[in-house]
Amino acid sequence: MTSILKTLLVATPLLTIAAFPVFAAEGVGGKNEKELMVEGTVVDILCEIAKKCTPNCGEGKRQLGLKLDDGKLLAVVKNTDLFAGSQADLAPHCGKKIWTDGILFENPKMPVYMVQGIKTTKDAKEFTPVDGFVKAWTAKNGTHEEWFRNDPTIKAQIAKTGPLGDLKFKPKAQ
Amino acid sequence: MKRQLKLMVTAAAATMLSFAATPEAKAQGARVQITGEVIDTFCNVSEIMFASGTAHYQCAVWCAVGGIPVSIKDKNGDIYMILRIDEDDSNVANPKLVTIQAHEVTVDGELIKRDGVNYLLVNKVATDKGIVSLTHDEHGIVPFGN
Repeated sequence: MTSILKTLLVATPLLTIAAFPVFAAEGVGGKNEKELMVEGTVVDILCEIAKKCTPNCGEGKRQLGLKLDDGKLLAVVKNTDLFAGSQADLAPHCGKKIWTDGILFENPKMPVYMVQGIKTTKDAKEFTPVDGFVKAWTAKNGTHEEWFRNDPTIKAQIAKTGPLGDLKFKPKAQ
Repeated sequence: MKRQLKLMVTAAAATMLSFAATPEAKAQGARVQITGEVIDTFCNVSEIMFASGTAHYQCAVWCAVGGIPVSIKDKNGDIYMILRIDEDDSNVANPKLVTIQAHEVTVDGELIKRDGVNYLLVNKVATDKGIVSLTHDEHGIVPFGN
């Protein structure tokens, strides 16, 4: 029950964010999180750190980041869709400077960024919400309330392994 | 002799230029062997929920397919974001990474550290013990329960 409540607490602000075009980044109940607006250039992380590059930042197949003016690289691991990354939102801006609002998680083991809004010019009044994953997924798979329970790849994997990773593991009786 | 020398210098310069120009230049990472649990990066790093072992397996699959980076967490709690698996540089929803979620693995690869993040280019999964962290009895299925 506690985990359900916690998930609802996380999901509600995210759904609210997705519903309205004007917003400020909101926390998701994580540890060491803080709102952070940044300006940076969208980069393919593997290209940036290892010179292993492909056209257009991998066209959605590479993890992306923001390279700030001071040279710092910020790994962008999440957008506002549930259980989804930021590639659909960032890849169209590959190599270009953007302005973002989001949440920085200052975990000493790995600082990462969740992008919640994008502006393509500094003076734009509003941030555009970043919910590109579900939009792209819906265009391909149709409308479903929960993409993650209806995705063909996920359904195939969970059918093979069960929800605990191996069919020999059984959920504890409630 | 002078002509041969000139040819050799020209050839060497051309070779150097071709290496410098190729986008597939070799990574400059330190060679490492890492052992730990394959994890979903966001749930672990943000600490928004319990995110380990069998209890979190399903969520880790959702997140990997959704494009959130997959990492390895070692026994010291150090986290390594995987940007390559075997010879495959596609690191978003990579099928191999989806199938080894929550497994305990030992990998050989190259480590590149940048701005507080450990980026790992896996050359080879040396061992895969499957899922050994049985957490569902204590935590149920996280999130959403059974």
